[in-house]
Amino acid sequence: MDSLAACVPFLPIASGLVILAFLRRHPRGAARLSVGALLVTFLGAATLLGHYIIAGGVEVLDLGGAWGSLWLDPLSLVLWTFVSGISLIVHVYSVRYMVEEPGYARFFALLDLMTAVILFMVGAADLVTLAVAWFLVGVLLYFLLGHDHTRPAAGRYAFWTQITYRFGDLPLWFASLILVERYHSLSLPVIFARIQAHPGVLLWGLPVPLLAGLLLALAAFARSAQFLLHTWLPYTMDGPTPVSALMHAGIVNAGGFLFNRFAPLFEHAGMALHVAFAMGLVTAVVGSALMLIQNDVKRSLGYSTMGQMGFMVMECGLGAFPLAVFHLIAHGFFKASLFLGAGGVIGDARRHDGVPPDPIYTSVVERRPAKPSRLPWLVAASLTVLVPIVVIGLSHFFVAEHLFYEQGVVVLLFFGWVTGAQALFAAHKMSHQDPWRLMLGILASFVVIVVGYTLISHYFGALLYPDLSESRGLYQAASIHMLSFDGLVLSLAALFVGGWALTFFADGLDLASNLQGRGRGVYLAIYALLSREMYVADIYAFVSQILLRWSRQLNVWLGWC
Amino acid sequence: MILALWLLAAFALPLFPMGWLFNRVLASLPVGWPQALAVLLIPQLGVAALRATHEGWDLPSQWAFYGALWVLLSALFYAFRALSARELGIWTRLLASSGLALTWLDWGSGATWPATEVFVLSWSLPAALLLLLAGALTRRLGGAYLGLQGGLVAVLPRLTASLTMCALALLATPLFPGFFALLRAFDRLPLAFVPLLMPLPLLWGWAAGRFFQDLLFGAYRGEPVTDLGRGPALLIGIALAAFLFVSLLGSGVGL
Repeated sequence: MDSLAACVPFLPIASGLVILAFLRRHPRGAARLSVGALLVTFLGAATLLGHYIIAGGVEVLDLGGAWGSLWLDPLSLVLWTFVSGISLIVHVYSVRYMVEEPGYARFFALLDLMTAVILFMVGAADLVTLAVAWFLVGVLLYFLLGHDHTRPAAGRYAFWTQITYRFGDLPLWFASLILVERYHSLSLPVIFARIQAHPGVLLWGLPVPLLAGLLLALAAFARSAQFLLHTWLPYTMDGPTPVSALMHAGIVNAGGFLFNRFAPLFEHAGMALHVAFAMGLVTAVVGSALMLIQNDVKRSLGYSTMGQMGFMVMECGLGAFPLAVFHLIAHGFFKASLFLGAGGVIGDARRHDGVPPDPIYTSVVERRPAKPSRLPWLVAASLTVLVPIVVIGLSHFFVAEHLFYEQGVVVLLFFGWVTGAQALFAAHKMSHQDPWRLMLGILASFVVIVVGYTLISHYFGALLYPDLSESRGLYQAASIHMLSFDGLVLSLAALFVGGWALTFFADGLDLASNLQGRGRGVYLAIYALLSREMYVADIYAFVSQILLRWSRQLNVWLGWC
Repeated sequence: MILALWLLAAFALPLFPMGWLFNRVLASLPVGWPQALAVLLIPQLGVAALRATHEGWDLPSQWAFYGALWVLLSALFYAFRALSARELGIWTRLLASSGLALTWLDWGSGATWPATEVFVLSWSLPAALLLLLAGALTRRLGGAYLGLQGGLVAVLPRLTASLTMCALALLATPLFPGFFALLRAFDRLPLAFVPLLMPLPLLWGWAAGRFFQDLLFGAYRGEPVTDLGRGPALLIGIALAAFLFVSLLGSGVGL
């Protein structure tokens, strides 16, 4: 198995290098080799994962040097299978999608190298391998996003990505240097063992795990497009669609991976987890709000990814680390399919505007249906508020009762309740000829999804973190004072219920006409702020122009020497 | 005598303000081979001058602290100035100055002489290749000013590929030696200095982004030009591959 494990990340490298060296003028051969190599890589990764599930056993594959070692633990094996699977899908899709693009063979070579680098990143067992792979992801992504040289915009947005990624490299380097300096090893398993033994080592008066944890969280924020470091993400749509899919399905999830890789450190860095929770929450809200006002499908998907990344980081901040991995995998698959389908949808929309040309058909479709009705408000309110909490609560109770004692789980259940209630409430707001049928259909779907999600996420968590004490340690690290926690949950619950009530009675209170008055200005200001994407990119552009002007002035004074 | 050696070292391993002279000397040479040879040889002269002082960094600790700070600020200063440079020769000189200035840190932390020489080569070799290619670009377009003609990759694919790879090597991209040299410099510095050194890779990344934007993207609208020959491109490729191989061996990777 060791030699197979060594082959998995090296195979795409070999394929990429062979294409660059010998197959640049043979695009079909390049595509065949690339897809074949990825297929074998995926099968190899899946075999290793299967072997782990059956036989167990975590090992470090040391290639015999100061760095370059691979850690074959459940996190690496799961992510190897996921990354190579997504990459294989993207490869197969690109075979036809990119066929008319110049640089076809180079594109496949870069895709192969990118896949290999990600595999090294998630499998790294030492800090140098991790830092090298982490850095190279940014470099390769730049060239993949800028594949179409004829469009200056592609280069500009690829640069935004590259510079944000570079910004995220630096805290990772700094954290690595601190860990090496204080725990005297490059090896991640060794460092983690020493952190468990001596978590109280100090640097500048602060515990090293906390300092390193804050820096690692910052590195993760840059990679996962958290608020203020997010401007690159929606604009990467200027790259080829397969690259967007690979990026949104895999690369942008690196933040969640980093949290999980350094989980033993975060057990002793509670403050870093609180920061992650706050940042994730803000990002989820801002990303979702920006997504709602976009009129471009791909940019809307970009902001949707930002919101999802916010949720993922928030899950880490709550101590639900395996849930974040499950989230990134689930999000990766659905976002990849959305991106790969987006081109076709846009093409279809250009060809067919969706308006039936036949006037008779139109009149039939537009005919007013029989008088719609809704459920009685008391029934609807009871269903909306109670059913999600009962379903979510029971499903978790039967799967893992002990989770109820963890604050992180309670917060996630709270979010589950809000989301479920929101779905039911939206269903209630829809006028329908048979409202009971509609509500029962949605309730049935809700039960299936919640029970399925609970079971899968629980067993997935047990696979990633077989040691229950580690999971509990993370939840404990993410906990806050009980009284503050209860107050926070109750006030948030009151806020949500109040919001629903306001929406429910919006017609009666005549909110629409009130908005025309004093509230109109506030509404327009918020809309303008969001439509300009909160001016974040504008501020960055302004500051960078000032810095460039200073640089130019200095050069003029010194005669460009 | 010692003072002269220190000044020579500060000139050849460009430390502000002596680095101005280093850049001036390079700029006064003809584009191409002369500049390339100069950027290879002058820093080696600096290493020799440091070696001749026989002193190492055994200054009083306060002096060493301020010395290291001055080195860092010099490196940041040249990297910052490279942001607005669009002429390939100037861009290369300023970035090479930024990287070469760090040699003082390497030497100050007690590195062996062969290690210091490799450190110097990590910056001067890719800079020399870039200056050679700047000569090739000047011969084709009448100047190596990037940004006037976009999309050079369409008409000069081999030349732009060589430029891109050399620029990546100069900017300490893994797995080129500059990256490991930089990591070594980071590792040997007291941790308190590391936050000061951190903006350096960021500025290099920014400079690289502007360089690639000007070099690669856009539509070429100039006169027809001939690309770099296969032979020279292959030679540059072999040089970079050898550089990469040596870097991997020297970094201690398990192969």
